[in-house]
Amino acid sequence: MEPDFVPTTSFVDFPEDVQLCILSFLTPPEIANFSCTSKRFVALCRSDAKLWHALCDRRWGSKTQIRKWGDGKICYRLLYKTLSEWESLIGFWRRSGQRSTSAAAAASAAPPPPPLVVFDWGPSFVAGSRVSPSQDGTYGVVKSPFLWMSLSPGGEPVNFVDPDGKGGEFGANYSVDSIGKTDLIPVDVNFMGCTHLVVEENMGLGGNSHRNGFRRSSSSANLCSDEEEASGGENGTFGSLPDRYMSEMYQHFANRTSPGGSSASRRQKKREKERQGKRRWEPEHFVKIVDCSPTPSRPLQGLWKGIGDCTKLEFYLVTYDEIGGIACRRVGEPADRFSGCAPVFWTSKATFIEPPFSQEEMIMYDSRMLLHPIDEENSMFGELPMENEPVTRILYINSSYDLLIPDLAGTTATDRRNEGRIWQYRDGTFGFGFLRDNFIIDLKHIAPNGCLLH
Amino acid sequence: MSSSPPPSSAAASPSCPKKMIALRSSDGETFEIEEAAALQSKTLENMIDEDCAGTPIPLPNVTGKILAKVVEFCSKHAEPGVDDESLRAWDAEFVNVEQATVFDYILAANFLEIPTLLNLTCNVVADMIRGKTPDEIRKFFNIKSIFSPEEEEEVRRENHWAFE
Repeated sequence: MEPDFVPTTSFVDFPEDVQLCILSFLTPPEIANFSCTSKRFVALCRSDAKLWHALCDRRWGSKTQIRKWGDGKICYRLLYKTLSEWESLIGFWRRSGQRSTSAAAAASAAPPPPPLVVFDWGPSFVAGSRVSPSQDGTYGVVKSPFLWMSLSPGGEPVNFVDPDGKGGEFGANYSVDSIGKTDLIPVDVNFMGCTHLVVEENMGLGGNSHRNGFRRSSSSANLCSDEEEASGGENGTFGSLPDRYMSEMYQHFANRTSPGGSSASRRQKKREKERQGKRRWEPEHFVKIVDCSPTPSRPLQGLWKGIGDCTKLEFYLVTYDEIGGIACRRVGEPADRFSGCAPVFWTSKATFIEPPFSQEEMIMYDSRMLLHPIDEENSMFGELPMENEPVTRILYINSSYDLLIPDLAGTTATDRRNEGRIWQYRDGTFGFGFLRDNFIIDLKHIAPNGCLLH
Repeated sequence: MSSSPPPSSAAASPSCPKKMIALRSSDGETFEIEEAAALQSKTLENMIDEDCAGTPIPLPNVTGKILAKVVEFCSKHAEPGVDDESLRAWDAEFVNVEQATVFDYILAANFLEIPTLLNLTCNVVADMIRGKTPDEIRKFFNIKSIFSPEEEEEVRRENHWAFE
């Protein structure tokens, strides 16, 4: 193309929506650059409803309903900024760290929440859901939404946790206005780097509840009276420390004599407890599971599901290290080699053995019994034993990190106990087993093609 | 000059086998396109619903040269069983043409409302903008600017707040 060539049609001749279509493929810094070219384009590039909407639509229009965020009133430039951050949430995370042993946690005596969490796009929010194996004997998984992240019309984050998991349908009818009337707990979601997340209760002190765009329905000024839920009360400033203790003591004695049967008074007590600084929800830390799926060079990588020790469905995570080894752990177990938690399996060199396989290997495989949940698609009666699938490749694995000391007398019985195999199948899934028993544990992807199968 | 016959597709429409639509370009050339391929254009989709008689649909905004390529594009994208990667490679070849031709594709895609072609070609133009300074962009697209250097500097400053 000649450098002086001037096309008969040019950018300026395009209709505006075509110009916006072109600009929508650029990043904000590139658009800033472009807007310097003429006054006309300065105006175009500054237009929120046109340009910034086009940018949001281009990046996330297929995943979420751009026009519904912030009750449809949000400035698209702010939406773009937030969604660029929140986009890195999408995917699988695992809970990390011990559950804090506070009084609230001990009193609840509930089992810890499932370690695996997935973040998804909603129509006008991002939803975090706990993912747990279903207990019905199939490969199914249960997805329970518990965290909603959205924006107020002013562009401020509005995040809530549903501690009891009852609000599943709430997510569909989600709107900022209706939040104050439920038991949802406002939370702050803080990013620490790209792969670490902390979700903790927003205690609603002072101006924070204004920032969340809703009003608490009872006021701290009325701590001394046992009253019904006050609607429309503004959140006043909290008393200084000594006052809080005074009112707490008062409440303790006052509530003893009041009939505590109605749910309204229970709710009110809950709110007062919260106002006095008692947490209703323990903070949770999450670490992103970065490599959730296999790749051509890492065919065993990612999140899998299969039968665990107790013949229940469990989740496994297979990770590759930098030196060609792989390790598999149950999701939620610490990944640290020195944590004292044995891996499900590992190998220092993920080099497969290709066919033809030795007679010994064939016998080892064929004599085994497949352990897998009911595969509803493939079995009519649900209990038919499946034939062992044809194996494409074999990998040697071990189930213990204990040093294998070469013994003068050859391998000991203990060493062989921990030795095992991975048998990979044509469709990319695989089964594994150890010499100490004759089972094959078959694993399937948790989210083939990025979708959780239910 | 009429286009080569479009590739045969597996699915026939319920009303008649592989219904063909006739299109006439601004310079009087006639082209035939399978209905399935034509439906990629929202404009054509509306016109087809109204008239089934088979008279060529006049497209006064599109020349024969460009219409031939648009028909080729729509036919390819209506083909069943093409995997994503090879389609992407085909698309990349399709827009590997002179800038003026890309601009003509854009106008045709806009007029005929073909989202896939519009997105593809607009992305190509976005690539032309990427990495250029405002001055280079002006030269490239022949944009007349009436900014004084001070005005331009002010715009740059404000942009830093808005876009960074």
